[in-house]
Amino acid sequence: MEILVCVKRVPDTAENEIEVKSDGTDIERDDLVYSVNEWDNYAVEEAIQIRDNVGGSVTVVTVGDDESEEVLRREMAMGADNGVLLSDSAFEGSDGRGVAAILKAQADAGNYDLILCGAQADDGAGQVGGMLAAMLDWPYASLVNHIEIVDDKKIKVGREIEGGNQELNEIELPCVLSIQTGINEPRYVGIRGIRKVASVEIPVKGASDLGLDPATVGEAGAKVKRLDYFVPELGEGAEILEGSMEEKIEKLIELLKAKGGLK
Amino acid sequence: MAQVIADRKDVDFVLFEQLKVDELSKHEKFAEFNKKTVELVVAEARNLAVKEILPTQKEGDDQGCVFENGKVIVPECYKRAWKLFLEGEWLALPEDPEYGGQGMPRTVAMACGDYFNGANYAFMMYPGLTHGAALLVEAFGTEKIKKLFLKNMFTGKWTGTMLLTEPEAGSDVGALTTSAVRNDDGTYSITGNKIFISSGEHDLAENIIHPVLARIEGAPKGTKGISLFLVPKYWVNDDGSLGEFNDVVCTGIEEKMGIHGNPTCSLTLGGKGKCRGYLLGEENKGMRAMFLMMNEARLLVGMQGMACASASYLNAVNYARQRIQGRHLLKMMDPEAPSVPIIQHPDVRRMLLHMKAYVEGMRSLLYYVGMLTDRRQVTADEESRAKYQGLIDLLIPICKGYVTDRAFDICSIGIQVYGGYGYIRDYPQEQLLRDCRITMIYEGTNGIQAMDLLGRKLGLNKGKPIMDLMGEIQQVIARAGQTGALAPLAADLEKALNRLGEVAMHLGGKAMSPEVLKAFAFAHPFLEVSGDVVMAWMLLWRAVIAASRLAKGAKKKDRDFYEGQIKSAEYFTQVILPATMGKMDAIVKMDGAAIDIGEDAFGGK
Repeated sequence: MEILVCVKRVPDTAENEIEVKSDGTDIERDDLVYSVNEWDNYAVEEAIQIRDNVGGSVTVVTVGDDESEEVLRREMAMGADNGVLLSDSAFEGSDGRGVAAILKAQADAGNYDLILCGAQADDGAGQVGGMLAAMLDWPYASLVNHIEIVDDKKIKVGREIEGGNQELNEIELPCVLSIQTGINEPRYVGIRGIRKVASVEIPVKGASDLGLDPATVGEAGAKVKRLDYFVPELGEGAEILEGSMEEKIEKLIELLKAKGGLK
Repeated sequence: MAQVIADRKDVDFVLFEQLKVDELSKHEKFAEFNKKTVELVVAEARNLAVKEILPTQKEGDDQGCVFENGKVIVPECYKRAWKLFLEGEWLALPEDPEYGGQGMPRTVAMACGDYFNGANYAFMMYPGLTHGAALLVEAFGTEKIKKLFLKNMFTGKWTGTMLLTEPEAGSDVGALTTSAVRNDDGTYSITGNKIFISSGEHDLAENIIHPVLARIEGAPKGTKGISLFLVPKYWVNDDGSLGEFNDVVCTGIEEKMGIHGNPTCSLTLGGKGKCRGYLLGEENKGMRAMFLMMNEARLLVGMQGMACASASYLNAVNYARQRIQGRHLLKMMDPEAPSVPIIQHPDVRRMLLHMKAYVEGMRSLLYYVGMLTDRRQVTADEESRAKYQGLIDLLIPICKGYVTDRAFDICSIGIQVYGGYGYIRDYPQEQLLRDCRITMIYEGTNGIQAMDLLGRKLGLNKGKPIMDLMGEIQQVIARAGQTGALAPLAADLEKALNRLGEVAMHLGGKAMSPEVLKAFAFAHPFLEVSGDVVMAWMLLWRAVIAASRLAKGAKKKDRDFYEGQIKSAEYFTQVILPATMGKMDAIVKMDGAAIDIGEDAFGGK
């Protein structure tokens, strides 16, 4: 099975104090530590496991700048066979539809049976997977937490439903799935994997390589524009607990007891 | 979120800006370890350390090891961490790929070890000792022995230990009584009792390989009659399969102050007359074999101590930023003034900067010695190789003795920053202090390190290593002298360095005079002042780089980091070095009280 996994380089929320820029256009990105979006790691792990069971190959792809190469290399060290970096100054400022359009061009250029992406990104809107499926006119399942390969025509996917329920669907290939965390346990990257990809050249494709009109992607093609980025003001009835983690916990327990939530 | 274990920026700074580790990839031996690869390796070591090993630290300490019917059960949570550690092949980073190593620069391995040991060094003792034991097999094993053991050790399928100490042979290894008798098949029958054996028995691996020091029947007394043997817990058949139990029986484990996750075992070898071993190297040359491995082992112990100090520092600085307590000193009289984070109090800032400066200096020193090892390997020039080896030999007692002494101090201050919370077990600080304490004792007590520095290393190769070291330090002083604001700091370090040269000449002379006892009573103070000067050198070196980066214009967070580097150097040269100068005066004065005092005058009788 030929699998394409879409990944994204995001600021690592476990590593950074995220601050909003004073002009409200974005967060402060100077010196942030970046890593692979957590959901995407599950998607790559799932793809590797499917490949190991039924054969085929796993390609990881990302839309980003030169520095995004490091996340592709990391996911290849994890076990993906190929990586492709989709990078072009024309791609900058793409909205979700723009990113999906760029990924579609890569999907068209390959012969993929299955496309996986993370259910959402730490800094995203959870929209690219669905849009990509629609543009390709492929079936789509979101929040997938279970995959069974039936044959080369169809697979079964489990989905997480609100309230802790679960559903199981049959879905025809090729298809796009957005992967929920918890579907597997992503492996750690070991030295052997890193050494294997140390000197691999990762191909970079721009708008012309993908046959894309620069006017349809990037800022030029974006139909959704961010107006503001801010920390919401404190509303009535909200109280932000201050202090160290332990002090916050202590205060929280006090509050819960005082309000009858804990007896 | 705040960082834990080791400051990522600091680790990267030492690797890439101070030591330029990526330049090693110009050499064929390290060609694949370019900057991108090194970054990926260190990032993934950190990832595993933070996510999987750190969570085992407290649990392992609380559970400890359990001794039952000759078996030792390790903390349950270690099993998963061990499995992941082996899957990632992190055990033998700098070793030969042919035998399961990764062929990586030692400097990079130091950075990985920084994160791993800071996450849980009691856990890291299993792979650490395995690595050390495997190095003995690699250096002294026959082809057959290497084939049978090495790969399984470097990959962690089997673990290793080191059997030196006996009840009456601790610091004086030459007093050991474990005996070896040659058998017809070339193996030796081993009989004796060993104590204080870390990882001597456990349930993490199917076999445990013990390098053992023993005396062959009829061999001379003392260290000249000691040989080194390889004794597996289960005999290994010639086809590599496991054979019968080799009569290595664990008779108990110690109740210790710290490192509870690692069992300290008493082992009886050949209690039923059925313990066999292979000779490693030549008969009666066991001590020489051990010495070859000693630098490696002592550098690791320095890393264990430094990693505890680094973790304690990051905990302390994060805590001090969050903990609100007391009004700002300038608003003490204003009852309406809000309480402030304790990082705003002068004494807390003093403690934090003290911790920061030492942790940074120690990190640079340990990585630097790693780098000397790498450079020695890749240089073709015989003279340079000898120079690097001399510097390593000279600096090892500082890396072990000075660093672990200071690491314990730092962990103690790390408790102090937390106040009462630092003393209770709900917080990590007290465990780091307890774990860290043994590093001052094992692998040659710090008193022995001081004697090694004064008695052996100072006069090594007619004093060439110490002259080389002073030359290296002079170079940094010269660069700092041309860097505007750093010039006064450079001048202070130069004074201290010159004084250290005088002190070394003086004390070295006294150590070969009738005043030898008095001189050796000042071996430890000498280790301390030598370490201080080396710290100041490392911090000034860092500051020189930071100043040039600042001059070129750095980004906000980088700017904070570089300014912090200059403050560390300023603190050390302005606040610590004056005390060092005083200590050097005391060494030159060489007061004899410690030697002259009568034994009864110690009192208590």
